[in-house]
Amino acid sequence: MKENGLLLMVNGQSYEFKIGTGPGEVSPSHTLARTLREDLGLTGTKVGCNKGECGACTVLLEGTPVLSCLTLTVECNGKRVTTIEGLEDPETGELDPVQQSFLESGAFQCGFCTPGMIMTVKALLGDMPAPTELEIKEALSGHYCRCISHYHVLDAVGRAIGKRG
Amino acid sequence: MKPFRHINVPGVAEAVDYLNKFPGSSRLIAGGTDLLGVLKDDILPAYPELLINIKAIPGLDYLREDENGLSIGALVKLAFLARSPLVREKYKVLADAARSVGTPQLRNMATVGGNLGQETRCWYYRYPHGIGGRIQCQRKGSGPCLAVGGDNRYHVIMGGKGCFAACPSDLATALAALEGSIKTEGAGGGRIISIGEFFHPLGNALKAGEMIVELQVPPLPAGSRQHWLKYTLREPVDFAVVSVAVLTVLEAGICREARIALGAVAPGPLRALQAEQFLKGKEPIPEVLQEAAVLAVQGAKPLSKNGYKVEIARVLVLRALEASFAGHK
Ligand SMILES: Cc1cc2nc3c(=O)[nH]c(=O)nc-3n(C[C@@H](O)[C@@H](O)[C@H](O)COP(=O)(O)OP(=O)(O)OC[C@H]3O[C@@H](n4cnc5c(N)ncnc54)[C@H](O)[C@@H]3O)c2cc1C
Ligand code: FES
Ligand code: FES
Repeated sequence: MKENGLLLMVNGQSYEFKIGTGPGEVSPSHTLARTLREDLGLTGTKVGCNKGECGACTVLLEGTPVLSCLTLTVECNGKRVTTIEGLEDPETGELDPVQQSFLESGAFQCGFCTPGMIMTVKALLGDMPAPTELEIKEALSGHYCRCISHYHVLDAVGRAIGKRG
Repeated sequence: MKPFRHINVPGVAEAVDYLNKFPGSSRLIAGGTDLLGVLKDDILPAYPELLINIKAIPGLDYLREDENGLSIGALVKLAFLARSPLVREKYKVLADAARSVGTPQLRNMATVGGNLGQETRCWYYRYPHGIGGRIQCQRKGSGPCLAVGGDNRYHVIMGGKGCFAACPSDLATALAALEGSIKTEGAGGGRIISIGEFFHPLGNALKAGEMIVELQVPPLPAGSRQHWLKYTLREPVDFAVVSVAVLTVLEAGICREARIALGAVAPGPLRALQAEQFLKGKEPIPEVLQEAAVLAVQGAKPLSKNGYKVEIARVLVLRALEASFAGHK
């Protein structure tokens, strides 16, 4: 951690920023969603409502699903952030089993809600080896899908659990 | 969001210090789930210059039980409260209320202090500045309450005065049934505010430069049972249209203690004292519970579009009492 500076660990890589209002600097009023998308070019994280209601902007902060639209970047100094871009194998490019399951189940139409959903499922399966359907629904209750892919998502989560054997 | 300065404070003393150094132009930020919405929409006539981040204050996220009851540090996250085996087992309404807030991600971020400190959701008060200009109102210090002549379907049915916005905090309702209180620190030292005194029609009892450090719940009456109900349009995300927390004690088939707290119907959580008195000493048979539920909403003064909340409140009280008494088996 640095004075007047900011260290973010995003998807295993460290990024340093100056805190300020100049170009490329992170202002105290910037949200994590904005920094990820506009400064780091990680546009996999979506911003839907920008006010905490839809879950599209969900990322993992120290492994826990949080809303990046309601998180200030300056408050993530020294913290680990995982976004959808961080799930595939960096060397082989192979998708994470959760991503693969969403593909195989066709668990989206437009795909806008998908990165957020996948991050939540990733955290859920990290905490619980075999969540019940109720637990899966509860974990995903903060994600809106306007394309009504919810049933396919449940199928995808079941598939992801299956993949782990 | 418009810019502000941001500072991390290492302790409560420093937080209070900054609040007092920047009176009126600073705000505490905990989980930020309410505050950042308020700032994005720029609803406040005075936009803060400085945000004081209290999230990293060590040791303010404790949950402790001793002979004085339960103490909950202001930085305890709602997700933690909802999952705590101790809270779920003994302070059930608190765990259920916490679990009913928002969504899992919000509960991972939101703190108990922020839950009590959050601003009302009145849609006139929260109207975004960016869409045709900020709406002024009584709560913001100028003009009348626009809910009175406007769309007031989610506003108060009791206790409004000047402003008719409802208390949005679910924890407040649960705390009221548990007769909890709020411990603060300020420039002149700390104090303890009972939950019933914390909210008033135009805001809350916190003075400038004062912060919440702890929620306190006194020891529970022996053999008591509790029940929480929250009526919303959808299960996740929505704020309560009405919520109810009850606590009951039954001895040899007779009700010895009944506490009924109503949420989202008034500027703060409201105890239905008349209904509580009525229940004491009686056998909780269906007719008695029905009468108590009627008494709980007696005196309600709904606005033009929220009379339906009176009926929802009555039914929730009835159901919560039934469930709580059924628990004494
Ligand atoms: C989509 C959505 C749905 C929601 N649904 C619900 C719901 O169903 N029920 C419900 O109760 N709430 C709901 N909320 C409100 C939610 O923000 C609060 O419940 C949450 O607990 C606020 O905590 P926080 O730590 O994020 O507060 P913050 O946003 O950090 O702070 C809120 C306010 O309290 C002040 N504050 C924070 N900590 C303290 C302290 N220790 N002492 C004094 N003042 C303090 C801040 O200055 C600020 O003004 C919802 C919010 C959203 C965005
Ligand atoms: S964009 Fe963050 S919750 Fe909708
Ligand atoms: S797939 Fe379109 S929003 Fe979910």
